[in-house]
This record gives sequence, structure tokens and C-alpha cells, in this order.
Amino acid sequence: MSQVAANAVAAAASYLLVGIGFSLIYTAVRFFNFAHGAIIAIGAYSAYVANASLGMPAPLGVVTGILTSASSAATLEWAIYRPLRRKRTSSAILLLVSLGIYVCLQSLISLVFGAGAVSLRAGVISQGWLVLGARLTGAQVAIIACGMLGCVSTWLFLHATLMGKLIRAVGCDPELADVHGCRQDRIVMSATVLGSALAGLAGVLLAYDSNLTPFMGFSILLGGVVAVVIGGIGNVIGIALGALLLGFTQNAIAWWISSAWQDVLVFAILILFMMIRPQGFLGTASRMGAV
Amino acid sequence: MEYLVHILVLVSLYTTLTFSLDLIAGHCGLLSLAQAAFYGIGAYTSAIVALAFGVPFPGALAAAAGVAVLMSMAVSTPSVYLHDDYFAIVSFCFQMIVFSVLNNWLEVTRGPLGISGIPQPVIFGRPVGQLEFLALAAGLAVVSYLVVTRLTKGPFGRVLHAMREDDVFSQSLGKNTFYFKTVAFAVSAALAAAAGSMYAHYISYIDPSNFTVTESILILSMVIIGGAGSRLGPLLGAVTLVLIPELLRFAGFPPSIAGNLRQMTYGALLILILVVRPRGLLGSYGFEAK
Repeated sequence: MSQVAANAVAAAASYLLVGIGFSLIYTAVRFFNFAHGAIIAIGAYSAYVANASLGMPAPLGVVTGILTSASSAATLEWAIYRPLRRKRTSSAILLLVSLGIYVCLQSLISLVFGAGAVSLRAGVISQGWLVLGARLTGAQVAIIACGMLGCVSTWLFLHATLMGKLIRAVGCDPELADVHGCRQDRIVMSATVLGSALAGLAGVLLAYDSNLTPFMGFSILLGGVVAVVIGGIGNVIGIALGALLLGFTQNAIAWWISSAWQDVLVFAILILFMMIRPQGFLGTASRMGAV
Repeated sequence: MEYLVHILVLVSLYTTLTFSLDLIAGHCGLLSLAQAAFYGIGAYTSAIVALAFGVPFPGALAAAAGVAVLMSMAVSTPSVYLHDDYFAIVSFCFQMIVFSVLNNWLEVTRGPLGISGIPQPVIFGRPVGQLEFLALAAGLAVVSYLVVTRLTKGPFGRVLHAMREDDVFSQSLGKNTFYFKTVAFAVSAALAAAAGSMYAHYISYIDPSNFTVTESILILSMVIIGGAGSRLGPLLGAVTLVLIPELLRFAGFPPSIAGNLRQMTYGALLILILVVRPRGLLGSYGFEAK
């Protein structure tokens, strides 16, 4: 039992990292950015290059992953999304563009590294850490620690710094923020960089915990998105609760029924939530989904 | 020659899929990422019915369409309440659920192993050869073109377009949006399932990897590149995106690389079209902000 709970918390922490990053970007750009999934995989694979190919130590691999994710997302924002936003492109078109980017990046990764799984795990498999009667791998401990740290620091960033407040202002009402002299491009760029750094971090840590595949980003991203939909966009505490709910449901299903049906139930929960409460558990009425 | 016929069959099947999706994407303005799910539902229903109960091809095709129509309610009902990004996510979830069921319901679908030995279609007591099959597939493509054109030209289509432009406004005119969306999705799903059924009986082997979200993205890309909501855009998109990657085959890349290059071509073309000409090559609807 405690093992189920421990795995659930570790899974929840990874959804939390991805969900917060996704929500940060969504707040600023307000379209569903599928390319975020590829950004996660890019972080994981660049850590793989740094550690396995270039022989760097693990912490440097983590840093490399974060930097690569953040800089590739920044490049995409600068080269593709920003010009489109200036043309007042609708969110539907931006969503399609991000799908195209996702497909391109995913197949680029398969082209370079092969479509099969590669492993980052170094050396022998250790027994892991004993916490409250459950065994956790080193990577799981790191994910939980980073998840909590990421959650707290993002909340502080959004509520206590000027840039955080600007991001929330743009998310609230972009026209009004513009009238008040907020420079939208800079705000979107910083949200993109921060959100993608969190995505890269999650990708690298998950890569240490299990294998890397070119398709890994999508399923992780969807876990994060479910947490965001349950918790409400931009609501860090809600996302944390959503991630925990998702992590526990998934692991309970895996424990009592079968891990094969995890995905089906997760997506069914997501559809139900969007039908019943699109603003999330704790969210106030959102502009998303409204006509 | 055989190769050429094979390509033409693929073009016909994809044309059916793009016309069926265009009814949803172009005429209702809903970005659905679930078309490969209906394609897969059709292929699997047809294969299972034919192998387990020995139902002949026309019956299997009808069964496939029937099951897909029922399943389409799972996507059409949310589409009444959710718009834009939220609908895209719901259809995406539906696609993932269908894939997961195909991949994990071992007793019925045989999971990743797939179903093999699906019988060749038999019509009027004799098996259908490749050329005759091309005629069938092309016939289905023509039927889907006629159905979609017919539906969208008349009053039914005008209501769809009105809902696309302003959902609440069309409700205020007394239009039952639930009814119109249910019918549109049912027709679209039935056509996609018919294409799936044909594919299963043509290739005689199916497995879940044919019906992934990537396939859905590909079909949507064809519609967008050709031009959503236009008369011949879906046809142009299907032809372009089936033929261009075939050229890569002749360029002499090994299959593993060619597969990835093909995906990159789709992705890059999609981005290029959306940046340069968001309405697609022949498009009439551009998903502008409301």
C-alpha cells in the first residue's frame, strides 16, 4: 500500500512540473501548445547526449536538458509563434501550427536516435531509498523534491515578482494589459522560457527514472494537462491537487485492476471534467471554452 | 502497375477520410483529432465481424459504419458544449482511448499483434481483384464527396456554417445545435469507418499502429493543406500528402529514415501552409478568431 502511495506521489510530482509549465505558457499565449510535448522529449534527449555520449556527470546532464528545452522553445516562440501572433492569428491556427512543430520535432528525434527506447540509467540498479516503508529510486526522490520546489517557486514568481504579475495580467485580459503598456512579446517570451525549463526538468528526471522514447513527451504532457484541467489554469495549488488526484487514481487502477487501462480511465476523467467543470476544481469561471 | 494501383487505392481511401473530416473541421469549424479513431473502429469492427461470424464484405462494412455512428456520439455530445482548444483536447482524448482499447483489449482485438487473414471482399459470388478494389475505393471516395457536398450546399449546410460562425446566435434562431452536430458527426464517422473497413479487407492485416493520433494529425493536415471547407481542397490535400512522400521512396532512402522524413514533410508542410496561406491551397474557411 505505501508503495502505491509513494509511486503515486512521484507520478504526481512529474505531472505537477509539466502542468505548471504548461499552464504558465497557456496563461500568456492562450492556445493549446502541443509542441510542449516535444520540448519535454528534447530536454530528456539532450541530457542523454550529455551523459551517455559526452560522459558528463548527472547534474550537468540535468542543466543541459533544462537549457536545451528552454532555448529551443524560445527559438520557436521567436521564429514562428511571434510573427503569427502579430498577424492576429486565431488560437485554432496556432494549435495546428504547434501540432506541425510537434510532428517535426518528434520525427527529428526518431531520425537521430531511432524510434526505439534508449536508457539513461547509469551503472547497476540500486535498491533505492526506503521512505515510510516504500522503496523510491533516486530519480523518484529527485522528482518529488523538484515538484515541490517548482510548485512553491512558481507560486512565488507569479504572485511576488513584477514579471509574474505581468504574466497574470496578460492572461487576464491581453487588450487591457496592452493599453497599460505591458510589452506582450517580452512577457510571452519569459513565460515560454520558464515553462519550458520546467518541462525540460521533468523530461530529464523522468528519463533517469525510466526509458526515453521519441513519443515520451505526449503522454507526460497529457498527464500535466489533466492536472491543469482538474485544477484550473494558472492555479498552482489547484494543479498540485489535480496532479495528486491523477497520480493516485492511476496507481490505484494499476494496483487493483491493470496498468493497461490506466490511460483509458485518465482520458475518460479528462473528458468528464471538461464537460462538467471546465474551469477546474478551484478555478473561477474561465474564459477558456466559453464562446 | 500493381504499385501504381496501390497508390491510387491509398489516395482514394485518404480522400474519403479527408472529405469526412472536412464536414467536421471545415464546415463545423471543429478541429477534430479523432478521425483515425473512427477509421480504426471501422477497420476493427469489419475485421472482427468478418472473421468471427463470417459476415460477407457488404455486411461487415455496414456493421463498421453502424458501430462508428454510435461511437461518434462520444465526440459529438461534448462538441455542443466545448469549443476551440477544449474540443480539440476532447477529440484527442477520444483518439487516445480508442487506441488504448485496440491495443489492450487482447481477447477481442489481439492487441499489438493485430488481426491477420481478413478475407478479401467477395461481391456477387466472386473475390474482388486489385483493380476492381480500386474501383470500389474510388467509388467510396466519390460517394463521400457527393454526400458532403450535398449536405453542406443545402439548408443543413447553412446551419452548420451558422454554428461555425456563431454558435449562440444560431441557437437564438431556434436551431437545435445538438441535432445538427450529432448528424454531422454521425455521417463523418460512418464514412471514415467505411474507409477503415475497405482498408482492412484490402490489406488483410491490421494492427493498432495504423490508427494512432499521428494518423489523425495526418488526416487533419491533409484537410488544412488542401483547404478546409472548400469543394475540392480535401481531395487536393490527400493527393499531395500521399504522393509527395512516395517520391522520397524513389530518392533511395532506407525505410526507417524515409518514414521519419515523411512525417517531417507533413509537419513542415502544415506549418508552411499555415504561415503563408492559413486557408489552405483552395480553402474557404480559415479558422479566424471570432
